[in-house]
Order: sequence, then structure tokens, then C-alpha cells
Amino acid sequence: MALAAALAISGTIFVRRSRFLVGLVRAGAPVDRSGEVPERVQAEATIVLGQRKLLERIGPGLIHAFIFWGFLVLAPTILIAFIGVLDKHSTLPWLGHQGWFAFLVDVFALLVLVGVLAALWVRKVQRPQRFEGSHRGEADLILGLIATIVISLLLWHATRIALGRSEWPASWSPLSHALSHVFSGGGATKVLERVFVWVHVLAILAFLAYLPYSKHLHIVTAAFNVWFGRTRARGRLEPLRFDDEGVDEEDMRFGAGTSADLTWKQVLDTFSCTECGRCQDACPAFATGKALSPKLLIMGLRDQVFADGAARAGAGGGPDGGPGEGSGSFEPGPLVPGAVTDEVVWDCVTCGACVEACPVSIEHIDHIVDLRRHLVMVESSFPAEAEPMLRDVERASNPWGNPQSERADWAAQLGVRVLEPGDPAPEVLYWVGCASSFDERARTTAESTAKLLQAAGVDFAILGARESCTGDPARRMGNEYVFQAFAEHNVETLNDAGVTKIVANCPHCFNTLANEYPDFGGRYEVVHHSELLAQLVSEGRLKPGPAGEQAITYHDSCYLARHNDVRASPRELVAAVGTPVEMERSGKRTFCCGAGGAHMWMEERGSAINENRVREAAATGAGTLAVACPFCTVMLDDGVQSTGDELRVVDVATLLVEHVEGRPQ
Amino acid sequence: MSGPALVFVEQGPDGALDELSGQALAFARRLESPLHAVLVGPVAAAEPMRPDLGALGVSTVHVAGHPSLGAFAPAAWAQAIAETAARLSAAAVLAAGSERGNELLAHVAARTEQPLAANCVSVTPGDPPEVTRVRWGGSLLEQARVHGSPLLLTVAAHAVAAEPAPAPQEAEIETFAPELSEADLLVRISERVPAAAGGVSLAAADVVVSGGRGVGSAEGFSVLEELAELLGAAVGCSRAVTSAGWRPHTDQVGQTGTKIAPEIYIACGISGATQHMAGCKGAKKLLAINPDGEASIFASADYAVIGDLHQVVPAISAELRKARGT
Repeated sequence: MALAAALAISGTIFVRRSRFLVGLVRAGAPVDRSGEVPERVQAEATIVLGQRKLLERIGPGLIHAFIFWGFLVLAPTILIAFIGVLDKHSTLPWLGHQGWFAFLVDVFALLVLVGVLAALWVRKVQRPQRFEGSHRGEADLILGLIATIVISLLLWHATRIALGRSEWPASWSPLSHALSHVFSGGGATKVLERVFVWVHVLAILAFLAYLPYSKHLHIVTAAFNVWFGRTRARGRLEPLRFDDEGVDEEDMRFGAGTSADLTWKQVLDTFSCTECGRCQDACPAFATGKALSPKLLIMGLRDQVFADGAARAGAGGGPDGGPGEGSGSFEPGPLVPGAVTDEVVWDCVTCGACVEACPVSIEHIDHIVDLRRHLVMVESSFPAEAEPMLRDVERASNPWGNPQSERADWAAQLGVRVLEPGDPAPEVLYWVGCASSFDERARTTAESTAKLLQAAGVDFAILGARESCTGDPARRMGNEYVFQAFAEHNVETLNDAGVTKIVANCPHCFNTLANEYPDFGGRYEVVHHSELLAQLVSEGRLKPGPAGEQAITYHDSCYLARHNDVRASPRELVAAVGTPVEMERSGKRTFCCGAGGAHMWMEERGSAINENRVREAAATGAGTLAVACPFCTVMLDDGVQSTGDELRVVDVATLLVEHVEGRPQ
Repeated sequence: MSGPALVFVEQGPDGALDELSGQALAFARRLESPLHAVLVGPVAAAEPMRPDLGALGVSTVHVAGHPSLGAFAPAAWAQAIAETAARLSAAAVLAAGSERGNELLAHVAARTEQPLAANCVSVTPGDPPEVTRVRWGGSLLEQARVHGSPLLLTVAAHAVAAEPAPAPQEAEIETFAPELSEADLLVRISERVPAAAGGVSLAAADVVVSGGRGVGSAEGFSVLEELAELLGAAVGCSRAVTSAGWRPHTDQVGQTGTKIAPEIYIACGISGATQHMAGCKGAKKLLAINPDGEASIFASADYAVIGDLHQVVPAISAELRKARGT
């Protein structure tokens, strides 16, 4: 009876709250995360079961993995304990009698305890910065509950062994067996056996009731969030539908202005955050003293989702807190500045370090961009200094307002073919991008790339004045409308020209062309110039001289290394030219140059991201800082001028062309 | 066209007719309608403008006087214009294409629910009248037919000269008190605060002296300020300078700062990054001073001095002083 009552109370609380939470997720705006089942299974296997992202930091990763794997193994003991409460002489058929299982229980119970103690040590002694602003008291309570559950389990087993009641061979469970010697096996032990099993069961039920109210909810939501996470094309933003037939004007989204505009995945994101702060540790904006912490962003949104959900339910809203029929009189307040400040939204460089670091597949960039979309397209509120860029993109088709007629000026003396309407399509279209067309420093990359393609005998052409901005900076600023106009225009140009393969040296153009234009009918094989050049070298069509001894450190561009997994090719080029030296933050854990997310055209607050990165590069002792992105080129070269380090910032294509040309043919 | 053309006019800083208002009047004569002007303010202010208005062909000046109409209040002033237009059954209402003129006629357009063609450079009377107007900051000329009564236009600055009318008039002054609601006075100028920096505004300056990273420090700008003072120029800077905190962001010339179009731009110790050149490509002439002969700014410069600005700029100032005998 007592057990039934406890179970009913705990279960009712859990179910009530869960219905509320599920209702909030279901009320989210639509977003398609179906299909790609094999990739999703793989994500569950590696990210959830394999704890891949957590184990990237071996210390805290193991702590979590011990506790997580421990609970997977210990799960059947919950059932065994419930049976034990009802009948002290019964257990689960078969499994309850297995010595090997009792052994596993002892081993993993110990691992969980080690994990809990280590976690407490991290939180109380190490006190890393990543927990700032997290609910630390809540975390302590949860660790205490876990310890209670595991210790009471071990003690229950020990008393059963002392009483000779263990259904499994006691010798299989060394820890419980050792503990059993503490107990006499008399009447007191009989009482304690009941006490421990009740403590164990009640602690589990308390945990169940508390769980959906706490940040620890992730043990339920994380697996779902990982399942529905992005599998491929991580650099792609979800397009907004402006004039689709079949989309009601009511359902049309212009980003996220209130919690009601968040997609169901975004709501699930906020429920999955357990405030571990790995995102914050990786964030270049946070590292340079800006207002943004990706962790606090998600927590702020979650608080708002909860508050609005509760208020809506209070105002007679739909079932389970969703808007539903007759959603009462409740109007949710703005997310900016309600949940997060304006500064937070604009500090983001969309580098994706947070998304990469997150062990539960929260997609912070989607939140940031949706908040920006609303601010730009509905409120017309964005950093004033970025306005000329948006205007110039719209008016002049490039973000600096240069005349389109000068776009191909760099190519004239090299005799690069400019594709005119009606011309036969080349094997590869070279998409130069605005920066490499107009910027003095970035233009060298275009010249180098063209020379190398010519040297290798590649049949290529450029679009010249018919090439426009891809719309990427406008899109990352939140101006989806301008982006889509350019996407449609460029796709039309490319399709009319019969283009099938594109090489781009700008990772931002590359990402947009490869991952985002398919949403607008543009499907091409898109490669980054570093990939094509590395291929030409390996095929022997480009023959650089023997690699020199000069130390070169390569800076990964976020939109290449992280958003698109291009990490090997640029390194092959560096290795073909000199002696590579790696920075600590490299590969998919690279640190942004500071230009992403349209920050090339915004003013920076706090200390400078580019200087932070340049200092790291200089510390390697390399004299050359190789890059594979025109924005990284400009930002890091500016950074070198500020810090005064002796570093040459140069694109991998230019490094290669110098090495190919310098070699006697 | 039956009714008169009504032109909103303003007083210039010297008390006489504002130059752009005069141009708008000359432009309005092309509509071949009797010319009336409307003015907000005391009659005493209208009196000194009478000869000019008459010479430009204005027969009647309607002066809106109201105790609450002293300071600029766009909705209230627009009400005065709209009311006059309605009373006269004006065929057209015009104003200069200044910020104020465009703002007022936008209000008039909203009140009368008529279309407004802003920044016109020419007009051909007809039914409907045709206009040519400047769009996109001067990069595009648009030809449009304007369906609306009254015809609402603003006149692009310097589209026509303020030449006297072939048949001058004796401008008569008529005063009236517009009917204002409280809502009309919600937005008004309550106080004028002079810009803290003083000196010449960067966006409007004919000469700009700018410094980049090569200046070396906030104090290093003293030589540029000295030259700027001698030339009546504004002082600007590059993004590197504002990032380093040597100058405020309001001084920045560039894509993320102010875009300028001076007669001459003197760039000292500026390498010429695209972000900077995007802000100064409107300059008619560019003089670059930089010790690095390879600096990309020289590709855009009309005049180049390869040298250290801390030597070159004081030398220019000294020469200027010598030439002026000060």
C-alpha cells in the first residue's frame, strides 16, 4: 500500500509535468527533421551511448560516462528493488539470480560513486568557469540523490548477503560482500535491510518526481534531441518560407520574436540543456569578454518558454500549455530583451564551436539566427554599422558597394575566361566571391587559384559581373529576405549557364552554394579550392618542389573545418610547401578569426577575437600563418598588425603557387 | 491644372529665403500654375523674404501662426500645409527634397492619402504629370507618372537653380491659424544640444584629414588636427584607430563608419583596406601619405607622398602658415 501510494504520487507528478513539457514541444513551429535514419542511429550510438562529445574532455567525460553507463547497467536493479520491497524473498526471474550481473552491479555502482565524488570535487574544488550562472545547488542535490540511490543499493545488497538472502552467489559481488561483514545478520540487520530498500526505492521515486522540474531533465530529452539533431550539412540554415502556396499568413514565421515562434526542435534544445558550459568554454565571443554565453542564451530561452507556457495554461490556453483552441488572453512577451539582451544576439560569430561542443546536440546558431531574423525583418533593429553592408549587398550585389563592372578586373591580365550568356559551360566554374574579387589582400588568393588551375590545365571559367554576393552575410545578419532574393538570382544564373561543378575559395560562399542553394533549386558538386588543389597535387597535375623547412601553422576556417568537415586538404597543401605546426585549437575545435556571422561588417566590443587567435598562432613559433578563407586573411592580417607579431598571413593557394612557380620547370 | 501650386518654404540662416526653398519655387513654375507659398512662423519672419518670394513668382504667402508652432513639429507643420492646400484646392504641393521637406510631405501624403514622388529632378505637366526622380542615393534615375490630386513632389537639391521668374509678383502675406490637435504636437523639437565634438561634421566636410594605424597613438592625431584646423577640415580615422580606442567610433571613415564624399581626402598612415576604401571612395581627390610604397591605398590615390606622416603633415602645415603669413 505504502509503495503504491509513493508510486502514485511520484508518477502523477512526473506525468503531469511531462504532459506540460511535451505540450510545449508539440506547440513549437514546424521544422523537418525526418529521414536520414542510418545517420540518426549512428548519432545515438556515438554521441549518446558512446559519449563521444563528453569524452573529448577525458576527465569530466569519464565522470559522466561512469555515471551514465552505470545507470544503464543498474536500470534492472530498480525493478529488483521494487520486487524486494513487496516481497523480501523474491527477485527478478533469471537476472536476479545471475552472479555476473551482481558483479556488474558492484563494479558499476562503484564507478558511479567514483563519478559522483569526482564530480563533486570538480564542482567544489576545481570550480571551472563553465559552471558560472548554472544552477549549482540543483546539481549538488542531484549528485546527492544519485549517491543516495547507489549507496542504499549497495547497503541493501550487503544486508541481504549478511542475512543469507542473496539470490545470487555472494562471492560474485565483492564490494557488497565485503560490506556485509559490517552487519551481524541478526534482528537489527533485518530491520536495516528493510530500511535500505525503502530508502533506495523512495530516493528513486523522489528523483522521478523532481526530474522534470530540474535541469537534469536531459536524461530523458537528450536522446531525443540527439536523434533529431542535424546529421549532414550542418552549415545550412533552415529557410523561411515567404510566399509558398499552402502556407497560411498566420503560420508564416519571420524568425523568433516570442517563445511561440520557436520551432519544436528549439524548444527541445532548451529542455535538453544541462548547463555543463562546454559551449561557453568554446565560444570566441565569451572568451573575449562579450555579453554572449551560449549556455546562458539557451537557459534564458528555456526560462521564457516555461514562464510563457505556465502563463498560457493559466490564461485558459490549450491542453498541456500549448496554444491550442481559444488560447485565452495570453500574449507572450518578446524574447529580446525578455529572455536575452540585444547584445547577446549580435555578439555571435556563428562559428559553431558551441554546437560542436554540445554533448546533447543543441543547435545554438539556429536560435541566434532566428532571433536576428525577427529583429531585422520585423523590428528593423540591428547594429547601425552593419546597415551600409546590407544596403550595398542589395544595391551593388557585394558588401562593399563596389561596381559590379570591376568584379573581374583581377582576372583580365591572367586571361581567365569569363563565362558569357550562351557560352558552353566549363568543367569547373570558379566562384570567386566578393572578398577575393574586390579586397586587395584577398584578391591575391583569386589570382593564385586561377594560376594554379591554369597550370594544371583545368577547364574553368568565372562568371565575372554576373556573379553576385551569395547573400551569406545578409542571411547571417538575419535578413533572410535579401538572402533569398540573391539565392534565387544566383541559382538562375548558374542553372542557365549549365554549371555542374563549382570551386569556391571562400568557405562562406562554399557553404552557401553547397548546403543552402539546394533549397532553392541549385544542386551542384561544390568543392573548396583547397580540396581541388590538393587533388591536383596528388594526381601530379601540380608539381610543387620539395617541402621546405619553414614552419607553417594552419588556421582552420569555421565554415570549412567545423561546418563542412574540410580539414585534411588544406593541411596537405601546407605539408607540400613547408613544415606544419598545429595550434592547440585546431581542426573542428578551431577558434574563429572574428569575421563570421556578418561580423566582418560589425564593430567589436571587448577584446578582439582576431588578436586572441594571432597570439595563439605566434606562440607556435611559425613564421607563416596559413589560411583558406578571404575573411580569415583580412581579419588575421589586421590582427597581426595590431599585435605586432612577425607573422605572414597567407592563403594556402598562394603558398602553393609560390612553391610551384619557384620550382624550375 | 486648375488650382495653384503650393510650395512649402523656409527661412535660411541669414533670415532670407532658404536656397533650397528657392529652387523648389523655380521648379514649381514648370507646372504653369499660379504660385503660392506656405511658411510656418511669425509674420515678422516672412517680411524679409517677401522680395525674394515675389521675384520667384509667388503671388501669395500663407503664413501659419500658432502659439504652439514655434519649434519644428512635423505633424503640426504638415497639418498647416495640408490645410492650406485644401483651402486653395491646390493642384500641387511641393517642398525642397531636404530631410525636413521630405519628412513634411510624407506626412502630407499620409494625411491626404495621396502618392508622393520624392527627390524629383524634372516634371512635365500633363494628365497624369510625369516626373524624373533620383533613387538609391543617386545611382538610379526613375521616370514615373504620378496619379494623385493634389500632386505631391519634393525637389532634389540643385536640380534647378533658384532663378527669378520672368514675371515677378508682389507677394502678399496672408496669415492663418491651422487647426491642430494634441496628437499633432506629440513629436516636436524640445531642445537643441550642440554636438559635443564641435568642429566640422565628417559626413558634410569638403576636406577630411584622416589617420590610420600609422599615426601610432591617440596623441599622434595632434598633427592631423592641426592641419585640419588650417584647412577647415574634419578629422577622420580608420577602423584600426577606433578599435585601438584612439578616436571615437563617430570619427570612423569606412564601411562600418561614415561614408564620406569630400572634395579632397587626405589619408595619413592608412593602408587602404577595403573596409576603409568603401567609406571614402566618394572623395573627389585622394592624397595618401604612407611610408610603405606598396600600401594598397596608393592604387586609389590621386596624389601620393611616400613618407612618415609625422614629418610630412607638420611640413604641410608649416607651408600653409608660411603662405598665409600667420
